[in-house]
Amino acid sequence: MNKALVVDDSKTIRMILRRMLKEVGFEVCKEALAVMDGEQDVVTLVLADWNMPEMNGLELLKRLRQRSELSSLKVVMVTTEAETGHMNSAMEAGANEYVMKPFTKDILLEKLSRIGVLPMACA
Amino acid sequence: MPDAVSLDVVIKIVESIFQTMMEVEVSVSELALVPTGDRITAAVYLDGDWNGAVSIECSHPQACSFAGSFLGMDAPESVDDDVQDALGELANMIGGNIKSVIGTDIRLSMPSVIDGNDYTVRVCGGCIENKIAFQFAGGTFWVVIIGKEKLRIRELPHAELQEQVM
Repeated sequence: MNKALVVDDSKTIRMILRRMLKEVGFEVCKEALAVMDGEQDVVTLVLADWNMPEMNGLELLKRLRQRSELSSLKVVMVTTEAETGHMNSAMEAGANEYVMKPFTKDILLEKLSRIGVLPMACA
Repeated sequence: MPDAVSLDVVIKIVESIFQTMMEVEVSVSELALVPTGDRITAAVYLDGDWNGAVSIECSHPQACSFAGSFLGMDAPESVDDDVQDALGELANMIGGNIKSVIGTDIRLSMPSVIDGNDYTVRVCGGCIENKIAFQFAGGTFWVVIIGKEKLRIRELPHAELQEQVM
């Protein structure tokens, strides 16, 4: 089963994204450390917010991309940061896709389909 | 006050967020904001090219209704952490989308939530205030923009921008 991780300081967005992902067949991890420590071989997708306390999404993305063993990991930024400059920064840092809030399930699935991480039945 | 174009873009942003995230139709109302009873306000603060705050204010039952729609569950019976978080996220989306059309060098704060029945929200130095009432099946809520300067739209509203990157 495809495994995903949602990184967002908003519980609301975590719940929405988890529900959407589960509906299309993802198993959703609850522990962010799963990606960084031990389970990286099974997590295939990270959905990350941009504005978060402690470490923002761009910094998280850059750290993930420094890990060669995570090179196949797909990272999608899901954020209110809708400026072209932010999108370019994320893509240059290695984001695979960029979803702006607000978003529908269809928009999210379209983005996931583009980067080839949707379970076969949904693609 | 924001000019008519700016105001129209803000209205479209709010309508789009409610429709997209909650499938709730909202439209502008002329009702004045008269704070009464238990209410809840979620706000985000912007600083940089434009300085001010964007907030959403509503009654407790409305906030519970929004949270239920947002999270795809029955509306909580009273304001709890989920309701506060959902309203904060709404403020974050509204503020974030406004931010994206008014400037290139603006920072957006984490949302804060105020809950009670006897409070006012002030932004130090904020002298231009615009209160926009929105009505939906559950009543009326307000989006309030307080800034030191006028809002000036520089880019496409979010919905059109989303289309561009699709």
